[in-house]
Amino acid sequence: MFPRPLPEEKPLQRGLYVGFVALILILWLLPLFAVMLTASKTADEIMAGQYWTWPKHFNLIENFQAVFAQTNMWGYFINSLIITLPSVLLVLVFSTLTGYVLARYNFKGNALVFALFVGGNFLPAQIMMIPVRDLMVSVGLYDTYLALIIFHVAFQTGFATLFMRNFIAALPDELFQAARAEGASPWQTLRHVVIPLMRPALAALAILTFTFVWNDYFWAIVLTQSDAVKPVTAGLNNLRGEWTSAWNIVAAATLFVAVPPVTMFFLMQKHFIAGLTMGAVKG
Amino acid sequence: MSHVRLIDIDKYYGSYHALKSVNLTVDKGEFIVMVGPSGCGKSTTLKSIAGLEAISSGEIWINGRNVTREEPGDRGIAMVFQSYALYPHMTVAENMGFGLKMAKRPQAEIDVAVKRAAEILRITDQLDKRPKELSGGQRQRVAIGRAITRSPEVFLFDEPLSNLDAALRTQMRVELTTLHQQLGSTMIYVTHDQVEAMTMASRIVVFNKGVIEQQGAPLELYHNPVNQFVAGFLGAPRINFVAATLVNLRDGVAEVALEGASTVHVPVADTAGLTNGAKLTLGVRPEALKIGDVPDAALSFDAQVRLVEQLGRETVLYVDAGPLAAIGSESGTHNFTVQLGTAAPYAAGQSIKVSARAADLYLFAPDGKAVNRPKLIAASL
Repeated sequence: MFPRPLPEEKPLQRGLYVGFVALILILWLLPLFAVMLTASKTADEIMAGQYWTWPKHFNLIENFQAVFAQTNMWGYFINSLIITLPSVLLVLVFSTLTGYVLARYNFKGNALVFALFVGGNFLPAQIMMIPVRDLMVSVGLYDTYLALIIFHVAFQTGFATLFMRNFIAALPDELFQAARAEGASPWQTLRHVVIPLMRPALAALAILTFTFVWNDYFWAIVLTQSDAVKPVTAGLNNLRGEWTSAWNIVAAATLFVAVPPVTMFFLMQKHFIAGLTMGAVKG
Repeated sequence: MSHVRLIDIDKYYGSYHALKSVNLTVDKGEFIVMVGPSGCGKSTTLKSIAGLEAISSGEIWINGRNVTREEPGDRGIAMVFQSYALYPHMTVAENMGFGLKMAKRPQAEIDVAVKRAAEILRITDQLDKRPKELSGGQRQRVAIGRAITRSPEVFLFDEPLSNLDAALRTQMRVELTTLHQQLGSTMIYVTHDQVEAMTMASRIVVFNKGVIEQQGAPLELYHNPVNQFVAGFLGAPRINFVAATLVNLRDGVAEVALEGASTVHVPVADTAGLTNGAKLTLGVRPEALKIGDVPDAALSFDAQVRLVEQLGRETVLYVDAGPLAAIGSESGTHNFTVQLGTAAPYAAGQSIKVSARAADLYLFAPDGKAVNRPKLIAASL
């Protein structure tokens, strides 16, 4: 068996391994821990410079109450949902269609179209900042939900197409031949054979896309201006301006912002892992 | 009445000529088995009939209709695949009813068709299961059931038994033959297994390098191969071939010289293009080789037993005949294969005499064409 199960290794190696894992985990989770710690403190404590001490007064609930009472976080949260959910849905629809065609149809230029979808991912998004902003201004979409939805759909579909195309291409050829021999049209094959079999992949892709779009900060501040449209990430930035010293409240708001992606991951965790490893073993 | 007709089918993959002017006529109710080595064009031909492969030129007719340009679903065919190709997310019943559902038939009609097919294949109690809960044999039954549900004009089978283990394969072979008798449908079956071909076919079509080498009833092909390829392809253990030189041709009898054995006299019919000194190939099937002296033996030589395979009802000997060397024999050496119809107490190292009658010898011209005894065996059948 490879890799060998840990207990079979020598004690020293095992100790080193466990030590390394622990170290990396601590480093990885340290910022998150700091946010949680800060969110549990009072403003006074933070002002006194006690960043890493255990909170003297456990102030988490009060901090959360302050977030909803004194800031516009709910509004930003709703904005984020209005932007993220349609984006995810559209990315799934488009990438399923493009992936199906690129995986199953051998037409001239197939490889070129695929390369364009994949190649787009390697373009640093930031270099498009000015053109995309100018474009949105000139078509009158600047500072609207649609500006962010359109951009995210356009940008995420590239990666999503690569993802879906490869999963669909991994389905056995004979399934498609069987469907065709039984008189199923390409649409029927997509609906009755491909999509049901792609469910784990679609779930994984939905989580990934949701996280990307929800967590986006750059395009949120480039393409929006008013509080009525701003998603949570850009909204958090506003908090910093309004509440310069209230880091405890900013931290509490940050935890609130992280709730949807984390919840989504745990809800669909089974699908997510299944989707990423699907096709590795024949079913 | 011709049910399926292929007229001058050509198929190119890029510059590779996969099918070379294939012509085939299949009558209603026939069980055609297409055999040949890998890459011979048999599967391509089957997929062309199904419409899954577009042909480069030629015409395909099914039931009096030119279907060359039609979609597979409109051709009246149903196909069974080697990998079963069942939809893993559907139950057995949904798998079997898929074709009818795609054709938007009423659910009641689908249920009746599925139930009928399930009864024929005795899988009625499996209808609610998913493919992964079934064994290989049951999966293949579902795949066949899926074909039956559509009541096609023609059943197409693409090596359907290759993924099954030996015992199950034998059982399914019998079941498929029974199914054919029961349904009376036209079936076209592709396999590389010559036992399946010999046992199931009403007619065998032998493919090689994109052309049909020969077609006919299994025993006809076995006894009267038109060329060296067909003789070598059908029959297990494989036929023995020996290099021979034509010495004399007179009164319909060819006298050929073998290296390391006395000259052999073989009756021939088609002598066109044969001249003295021509390099021929002599063929003799393992079961035609006898041990000991045979009255009126045309071929006989001394040999030493190298290997013995005891199969209970029969014995297969691999024997070394010194300078008389068989060409590319089954054991990979220059041994002759001898098949005895009884359990015989031979041991490796033993010296024996091997003989064969003239009627059991085949002679092939330098281009591989059979030149001797047309219909000799057929007449004696």
